[in-house]
Amino acid sequence: MMILVVSAVTFALLGFAGGDALTELRNNPQISEQTIERLRHVYGLDQPLPIRYWRWLSSAVTGDLGESTYFRVPVSALVWMRSVSTFQLGTAAFAIALALAVPLSLVGVRYNSTTIAAVIDLLILVTASTPRIVLALFALVISVRFASSAIDSSSAVLFWLAALALSAPLISVFLAQLHGELQRTMREDFIKLARAKGLSESAVIFRHAIRPALNPVLTIVGLSLGGVLGGSVIVESVLGRQGLGTLMVSAVRARDLPLVMGIVLFTSTAVWLGNALGELLQAVNDKRIRDLGF
Amino acid sequence: MSSHLSRYRFSKRRTDRVAVFGWLVIALFALAAVFAGFLAPYDYAAQSRAEPSAPATRIHFNGLTPIIHPLRIDDALRRTYSEDTSVASPLRFFVRGYSYKLFGIIRTDLHLFGVGSTSGNAPRINLLGADQLGRDRFSRLLYAIRFSLIVASVGVLVASLVGILIGGVSGYAGRFVDTLLMGATDAMLALPTLILILGVRAAFPLELPITRAALLLLLIFALTGWAEMARLTRGLVLSLRQREFVVAAVALGVSEARVLFRHILPNILPSLRTQALLLLPTFLLAEVALSYLGVGLQEPEPSLGNMLTAASDLELLRSQPFSVLSPALAVLFFTLGVRLIGRSERT
Repeated sequence: MMILVVSAVTFALLGFAGGDALTELRNNPQISEQTIERLRHVYGLDQPLPIRYWRWLSSAVTGDLGESTYFRVPVSALVWMRSVSTFQLGTAAFAIALALAVPLSLVGVRYNSTTIAAVIDLLILVTASTPRIVLALFALVISVRFASSAIDSSSAVLFWLAALALSAPLISVFLAQLHGELQRTMREDFIKLARAKGLSESAVIFRHAIRPALNPVLTIVGLSLGGVLGGSVIVESVLGRQGLGTLMVSAVRARDLPLVMGIVLFTSTAVWLGNALGELLQAVNDKRIRDLGF
Repeated sequence: MSSHLSRYRFSKRRTDRVAVFGWLVIALFALAAVFAGFLAPYDYAAQSRAEPSAPATRIHFNGLTPIIHPLRIDDALRRTYSEDTSVASPLRFFVRGYSYKLFGIIRTDLHLFGVGSTSGNAPRINLLGADQLGRDRFSRLLYAIRFSLIVASVGVLVASLVGILIGGVSGYAGRFVDTLLMGATDAMLALPTLILILGVRAAFPLELPITRAALLLLLIFALTGWAEMARLTRGLVLSLRQREFVVAAVALGVSEARVLFRHILPNILPSLRTQALLLLPTFLLAEVALSYLGVGLQEPEPSLGNMLTAASDLELLRSQPFSVLSPALAVLFFTLGVRLIGRSERT
């Protein structure tokens, strides 16, 4: 439903604003007005907007997103191909953020130390206020400083630097959410009960506190997917990686409307799937949600 | 990114000091934007073809007088320069230079500082070096901050109005309208905003003059930036609806719109103001991203984003990282300042 609305709005905007890949041809004196009209007819661009949307949509559900007017290859193949690199980068970013947030907040809650709380606090502030574009540029400086020759965009170091730049806002959100939830949970009555039973503090946390604290975090993980996809545009452009983000930029610059539509559709679907996955994991984690009808 | 940060709180005193620092940073940026013409020694578009990609000018002292030396090109290809120490030009405060309009009204040619001698081949002072066309990066940075701040602030205003309207109606009307509007809000929050922004951008011609570009950015912000404000407003309206003074107003037969705008809105305004402040760096960054990708503000107009495209010249980035990335550092400081304020406002 959401995807339908988004694609329709994007399509309408692109349509109403006028101009398409053929507009550029007008500037070429060797191509006559008749040729352009014929091409418009061939591509169905002379049809009214709703009909064009309907055609696009009905072929989109069969997996055919049309042909890129700039790259001259099917949009779906192009998007699939480029999404692999972005998927790897995004997964690495999520992994970094979780690998930092989970142990730090667990240790912080376990030892209830003000030093660790202050470190967490500072880390949240720094990662929340350092934009991805700034981090990506810093990563670029680091790599040109230490690389002897021209930088190699396929190097592992650059990959992890890019993932780190992409993960910064995630670190702040995950850390704030998880640490906050854990602290809140530790004040609950059932935790007091677990302690009264004589369980060790670690057992209290691992057996009783983690599960209830995890659910809001899972929601956040699902919701941050959109940010990661958006952020990948910047990180990939700065660090010269061929991914979905850079593909979108070239599509916009070439006014390649089928490709723009394809990427918008693909990313919204990915986000929708990510949210569904988040909800599914919550159901796995929380029996009360499972009983509601999963 | 909201109230859950509030539990991490410093003592009141320290919070205040941190917030003061944040406000100081914002004030500095505002001053830079307002007095860009006065602070900038050169016109942002003025080129000095003799010194492309020149490094930041070194300031020496002759006794108490600050002086600078002209640059000599050593290697035109690798763009290395050395100072010609046989010539020295003094730096002066309040010098006459190119003419500009202070506050957009008063025409003047007074500048805070500049090179004292007025002869034709006087050396130029480039505090942050010169870009590939020999334009003074410091002057461009000031004008870029002005453009970015204006667009981001107006964008926040527009997007906030849209968000408050949607959130207010949603929270007050409830039922079907609420479900529909909040569904749209949640979708908006989850979607990859930058990709949507680029999608909207694709609908317009690539090259735009400055005013059209600014208007387009505002339109994009209004379309994509309202969701957080809408959700916050809805929550606040929902909690206030139950309060006695609202119930009393409804019981007195006050119209719905009047209850919403005259009774509820004034009470939630402080919280909305904080949220609006927090949106400022978001929009600033969106502008930076678009201009960096070459689809925002275009040359020769300076913007924080299009100045950063110089970083793609890796040789230059290696030799002058600080100068090339100065716009990024400006963005970083601004974001940090706003975050510090937001964090103390929440406690």
